[in-house]
Amino acid sequence: MPAAEPIIAIRGVTKRFPGVTALDDVTFDVAAGELHAIVGENGAGKSTLMKILAGVITQYEGEILLRGQPYRVAGTRDAEAAGVSIIHQELNLVDDLSAAANIFLGRERRGALGLIDDRSMNHVAGELLGELECHVDPSAPVRHLRVGDQQLVEIAKALSLSADILIMDEPTSALTEAEVARLDRVIARLRQRGTTILYISHKMDEVFRLADHVTVLRDGKLIRTLERSETTPREITHLMVGREIEHTRLDTCRPIGDEVLRVERLSLPTASGDRYRLRDVSFSLRRGEIVGIAGLMGAGRTELLECLFGCSERAPQGTITVAGTPQRFTHPQQAIAAGLAMVSEDRKRLGLFAEMSVGENVTLCALAQATVGGLLSRPREAVLADGAIERLGVKTAGRDAAITSLSGGNQQKAILARWLLTEPRVLLLDDPTRGVDVGAKAELYRLMDRLCHEGLGIVVTSSELPELLTLCDRILVLCEGRLTGEFTRAEATEAAIMEAATATN
Amino acid sequence: MSKSGRSLLDWLSLNRTELGLLLAIVLVFVLAGTIDPQHTYFDFSARRGAELSFKDILRQTSMLGIFALGSAVVIISGGIDLSCGSVIAFSGSVCATLMLLMAPEAMTGGSELSLGVIAAAIVGTVLVGFLIGSLHAWLITVIGLPPFVATLATLVGLRSLGRSIIERVTNRMLDGTSTQIQIFDDRFRYLATSIWIPALIFAVLAVLFWLLLSRTVTGRHLYALGGNEQAAHLSGISTTRLKWLAYTLGAVTSSIAGILYIGDQAVADPQTLGRGYELNAIAAAVVGGCSLQGGVGTIPGTVLGVIFLRTVIDGIAKIIKTGADVYEGLIVGILVVVAVAFNQLRTAGSGRKRFFADALGIVAGVTLVILSALVCWLMAGDTPGVIGGTLALAAIVVLKLLEARAARRGQSDARR
Repeated sequence: MPAAEPIIAIRGVTKRFPGVTALDDVTFDVAAGELHAIVGENGAGKSTLMKILAGVITQYEGEILLRGQPYRVAGTRDAEAAGVSIIHQELNLVDDLSAAANIFLGRERRGALGLIDDRSMNHVAGELLGELECHVDPSAPVRHLRVGDQQLVEIAKALSLSADILIMDEPTSALTEAEVARLDRVIARLRQRGTTILYISHKMDEVFRLADHVTVLRDGKLIRTLERSETTPREITHLMVGREIEHTRLDTCRPIGDEVLRVERLSLPTASGDRYRLRDVSFSLRRGEIVGIAGLMGAGRTELLECLFGCSERAPQGTITVAGTPQRFTHPQQAIAAGLAMVSEDRKRLGLFAEMSVGENVTLCALAQATVGGLLSRPREAVLADGAIERLGVKTAGRDAAITSLSGGNQQKAILARWLLTEPRVLLLDDPTRGVDVGAKAELYRLMDRLCHEGLGIVVTSSELPELLTLCDRILVLCEGRLTGEFTRAEATEAAIMEAATATN
Repeated sequence: MSKSGRSLLDWLSLNRTELGLLLAIVLVFVLAGTIDPQHTYFDFSARRGAELSFKDILRQTSMLGIFALGSAVVIISGGIDLSCGSVIAFSGSVCATLMLLMAPEAMTGGSELSLGVIAAAIVGTVLVGFLIGSLHAWLITVIGLPPFVATLATLVGLRSLGRSIIERVTNRMLDGTSTQIQIFDDRFRYLATSIWIPALIFAVLAVLFWLLLSRTVTGRHLYALGGNEQAAHLSGISTTRLKWLAYTLGAVTSSIAGILYIGDQAVADPQTLGRGYELNAIAAAVVGGCSLQGGVGTIPGTVLGVIFLRTVIDGIAKIIKTGADVYEGLIVGILVVVAVAFNQLRTAGSGRKRFFADALGIVAGVTLVILSALVCWLMAGDTPGVIGGTLALAAIVVLKLLEARAARRGQSDARR
């Protein structure tokens, strides 16, 4: 424990939501200027704790001291005034406003006559962003920025608020390796200035690269606060899950069968039609095989899967052959009928039906199996839902529970369950473990392995290379819409893939 | 269905909106029946008492209910249909015009309309409803207009189109140009005046819509579409077809209501017919638990919402006797705000929310006091107006003081 007076002292903080205790008597200190990592599985209470600190949640039991003074804020503005800023995992920017306007949102600089002074804001924003190695036009709408740059806009905003306590909620979940390296340098610079950073993450390599102290939460309880130098990733993971995770070793000798998917010279023009998002992509997938698609953000990973599933913005050129039959999909319905299923990248926006129960979410694509004489049969639907929930081991209070009550990993399993009910031949998974904790990740890996054994072919993308290296029989690398590399499991290394992913740069 | 107390409790909490509305309806009946000097609702002796009131409520409820069902489906699917009132007016005009074209003598009072003419006019009108709904769906899904804009256009356009058609047709078929077509035929009018026919149509439609939404794949897909359109599309749901269905149901139910309204009023007058009814339909759906964000709502809730709206309107008419129809819009407005605010506060947890904390709260408080005084004064007279205003003022001042005290206590708690 740090000897000096802690900058933040959390004392017995408890937060109850209807039906669940998100935080249970949590007490720990954060020393000034340190980088304190908070780790734990999804649903462990990390985000709740951070929301309390950031003033998003204002009702709780217990006490928080900031610089020795009681800290009670009525909202995020109060928290910002006290020097606490949070960078949410789902970024909080107004897409159509410029980077500068976002940075000064709510504190716009005024010029003569009280009119907004864009020039001065753009200038200051440009300087702040430059310091963060973010070389973008501060007057451009943030919609056009890459995710990594958008995140730096949020950090710049925190800096302009002269925040000395910065909370980062899984900041690297959507970043490429290069962007992660840049974020590391930004963090180092912030720490030189004396900024205290609370860093939430699932990723052990990051935590051990950056943190001074690591606090482990599990099921809302504080398990332990450890000094980084005195612990190991293995110990932390163990504390997080409450059990040891064997280093995932996936069966490399899955029986590979016939070809189920063949893509030839697939090209996807942009909306304006003068450039290509994908150019001449050809590959094939066989039963029992997992093919990974690697590439930086914007390389065309998601677009490739969208073309295969009939939901791309424009019609792709080239041929797609599913189990020997050439196909041209214009609606996901046709792709589903041909035996394809896709789990999309953005679970909340593109996958979940928040108003529906777990069961309704699971059976949605296979309701025809639960009808009797044209009417839905409740008992049949229940059987269908329960079977799928059990098959994938979705942890839920029951099929009638709200889907939003599940953790990220279990929501993802529910969506997988939905697709497996359509009995697909080919599963397209777009970054399936994004925002999913370590334990659930390992489970998803094992699940994918099992499905391949059962004869499915899987195409998976990921922003994390180690994940692809663990999972895939073959890895294809996309760079600016072109295939720039193909590696078998034996050939694939992080360095080789990164080289292919940055081939034209 | 529920064997144990546990599942009964679950069922009760799942159907809270519906149960709350049911209670509210009973409460309104009892209150209005008690306050009403003649106690009309409890007066079963003379034929003019309770029976007449209930018949009137049933007629009004059925007519509003028919197109409110359509509105509810559109709202649940994540859209909005602002055009109901105009579709009612236009359909009424079309129906009357068709009858005039097919049987000019009968429509001027010479002879009886044949059943064939009536049936043909009805079928034609329902078909027109289908075409209007399809146009909405096409504008929204193919052209990409927001539902608000597409149906706003028909809201404005169809009423004047109906009037133009009637002017042209009366000019050609009758002696002079008229902006309305009278309807004398008793058999056609019986469709509405019988009361049991509108009630039966409402009941049958309600059951069909309830089956559609709660027991069919299409219904579940409508909820999915309203809840998350992109995810629905990616789940292989044909969102275009579903929207076609929803807007068609919205327009066809309005057309059916249009036919009944001209029978009820014995005239097709597109200038006044169904004016503003779209908002009553939306209000009924919203009071019944539908969310304008889509994906949430039920048919039983909507039916109860309709009944609730009509009983409150009728109850107030019983209490103040004369000129009550002036207040219909006011009542609907207040009910919508109260019902939705109630739900909002219940789900968001009002906890320590301060309603009158800052300048906005104080201005709103003053507005509420003025509104209460006005409503009491208009409905009951000078003295009740003063009393109502004073009571509202007192209530808001007390609330404000309590809030301020709670806030001070909260702060000192934090300091300790």
